[in-house]
Amino acid sequence: MYIHQHICISPQDTSDLVNPDNIRPSVEGKLIALEPALDGVPPGMLRRMSKAVRMGMGAGLPLLKSHTVDGIVIGTANGGMEDCIKFLNQIVDYEEGLLTPAHFVQSTPNAIAGLQSLLTQNRSYNATHVHQGLAFENALLDAGMLVAENPGKNILVGGVDEISTYNYNIDLLAGWYSKTKSNAHLFDAKTPHTIAGEGAAMFIVSDQAADAAGNLEQLEFFHSQDTATVTDRFRHFIADFVPVTDNTILISGENGDGRQLPLYVECEEALGSALPVVRYKHLSGEYPTASSFALWLACQALQQQGLPRHLFKNEHSLQAIDRVILYNQYQGKQHSFMLVSK
Amino acid sequence: MSRIVVTGIGIITAIGDTPAENRSALRRGETGIGHARHFTSRYTEKLPFGEINQETAALAVRLGVKDAAATRTDLIALYAASQAIADAGLTPADLMDKNTALIGGSTVGGMCLTDEMYADANATGSQGSPYLQSYSNSANTSYLQKQFGIGGLIDTFNTACSSSANAIMYAARLLKSGKAKKVIAGGADSLSKYTVNGFNALMILSDAPCRPFDAGRKGLNLGEAGAFLVLEREEEAAGKNIYACVEGYGNSNDAFHASSTSAEGHGPFLSMQRALQSAALQPGQIDFINAHGTATENNDETETVAMKRLFEKPPPFASTKSYTGHTLGAAGAVEAVFSILNLQHQEVYSSLHFEQPIETTGLIPILACSATPLKYVMSNSFGFGGNCTSLIFSKI
Repeated sequence: MYIHQHICISPQDTSDLVNPDNIRPSVEGKLIALEPALDGVPPGMLRRMSKAVRMGMGAGLPLLKSHTVDGIVIGTANGGMEDCIKFLNQIVDYEEGLLTPAHFVQSTPNAIAGLQSLLTQNRSYNATHVHQGLAFENALLDAGMLVAENPGKNILVGGVDEISTYNYNIDLLAGWYSKTKSNAHLFDAKTPHTIAGEGAAMFIVSDQAADAAGNLEQLEFFHSQDTATVTDRFRHFIADFVPVTDNTILISGENGDGRQLPLYVECEEALGSALPVVRYKHLSGEYPTASSFALWLACQALQQQGLPRHLFKNEHSLQAIDRVILYNQYQGKQHSFMLVSK
Repeated sequence: MSRIVVTGIGIITAIGDTPAENRSALRRGETGIGHARHFTSRYTEKLPFGEINQETAALAVRLGVKDAAATRTDLIALYAASQAIADAGLTPADLMDKNTALIGGSTVGGMCLTDEMYADANATGSQGSPYLQSYSNSANTSYLQKQFGIGGLIDTFNTACSSSANAIMYAARLLKSGKAKKVIAGGADSLSKYTVNGFNALMILSDAPCRPFDAGRKGLNLGEAGAFLVLEREEEAAGKNIYACVEGYGNSNDAFHASSTSAEGHGPFLSMQRALQSAALQPGQIDFINAHGTATENNDETETVAMKRLFEKPPPFASTKSYTGHTLGAAGAVEAVFSILNLQHQEVYSSLHFEQPIETTGLIPILACSATPLKYVMSNSFGFGGNCTSLIFSKI
């Protein structure tokens, strides 16, 4: 599946490659996404949109305006969580009194894909995958099948998640986030916890190779809490699909949580110590669909034939980039491998 | 091209705990909609529900589950999926295989725990409840993955009321494209204050048992259910009992409004048309439609408008939501099981409480259970956000 145009909304200025001198700092363990202006959205509608929906529109609508698509496929773990809990709070606070339905209607995770379709009057295939840390991976798999089923047609695929007060509280209580960690030193301490992030990355994909930013050649994902199983599957993935060349990099989902670090290290070691390793969660923060930011970064790496020095974990003498391997895990349970080539 | 076949079914609804019990109630024309005994909400006094007649704790005991973090939705999903897996004879080795996928659908997910989630999300206490990992949209699918040790692809759809129909469509496409050899696909939802208050705020809940396609319909009744299918490529299913084939599927977005369908029924028309195209069938070949038929003012009119646009003479149809209530994310899978029962037993089940046709479209649903030769049955599921899905099952 070939990736063509892409738009990334994130806590950084990702209209181009992130300038190393200009990395926006996290505040109290959160990286908040910069919001784009939304053109062509009725003000009444804009007022009712949650940030996840606004980010989804900001990344998706420009692509939908410049391309005719035959499918809209979104991965979002939390979709309209902010609205969802506003409504839930009203239920409890007003003891199930008479409520207005606005938050309820906006709370469905498919509000993003639904609204993209509505605002562009697109009646094609429309799907929303919500499988937490594999929501975006499933969206990619779905889009890959659509591309094969519809030769010559474009598909919009994307990943979106917001930091809502509420899912942040739940994940904080569950021990995933720290309010004292910062993105400036995210990878230094090997302690538990990471920082929260948010964003939306959207891609136009098709089976057409001409002028593509990259080719998503392979995608594998699964659940496991067993280190040996994950490493074994990663080794097989590499052996089966990735030819050994000098011009290969690994984009690692390493997030500063010491509990998750050993698996990232195992996967790095499976590739040999000389392989250049790129990290990005000090830019994006951690969220269930952060792998969509990683895929955007992979496209940048292939198009620009390099990435800024500050993103690399190790010394390297990279001259060109032909292949990008991506490994990401979510909360130690969900794992995904991707291979993107030139 | 190998066919996609159904080798296992599992279901639990307000009208029964097994496919046989559900069929028996459907044949008798006996609804499961009535006074809720287990669900707590201030609306249980004035609104009827399609409740599964088992306490959550009793369900856990029946399933041998001791995990304190398992929600009612998790247990309902486990109940239905266990039946389907046993029915298809999937072994532990099958389940752990990289080529066995699990695809779920749910709208409420772990949010059935409204009050617990309120406390955790607002961080009212210093410590969280045992349910911190149980609230997500995908919690029930992850719960099933852990219970069965599923080794392949895992996904959860949330496209509101078409969620599990999309899970089945996705499953069929995974099998067709060779990305999986066996897929367990379906969905689950339980009654929750969240959805009851949401639909109540939209003023589309009926205070009497729902009357799909009737001119005097007053809205829907909420229900709860779990239903799963085991789908396999035909060559993988040699020697197994095969219930039906997944013949076609189609999805479209109506692109009209967040919570209602366009007057022309664009989305329903296109999902049905695309399902026919993918099955390479003519409209006249559909023998029966298990309609979405929620009994809301908007759905039943627009669904019949779309049926009249697509079919020169709409085939016989009915809505089984008059038995189970609207089971939201589970509805697509529940009605897939009912469509399979239609084909397996060559019979159609009636719509209950119908009296007068809708003035503008004049269509009358099936009013009595009867034996009928059936080759192709279509099942419709439409959801918020304009999401419309149609599935076609065929007699083996």
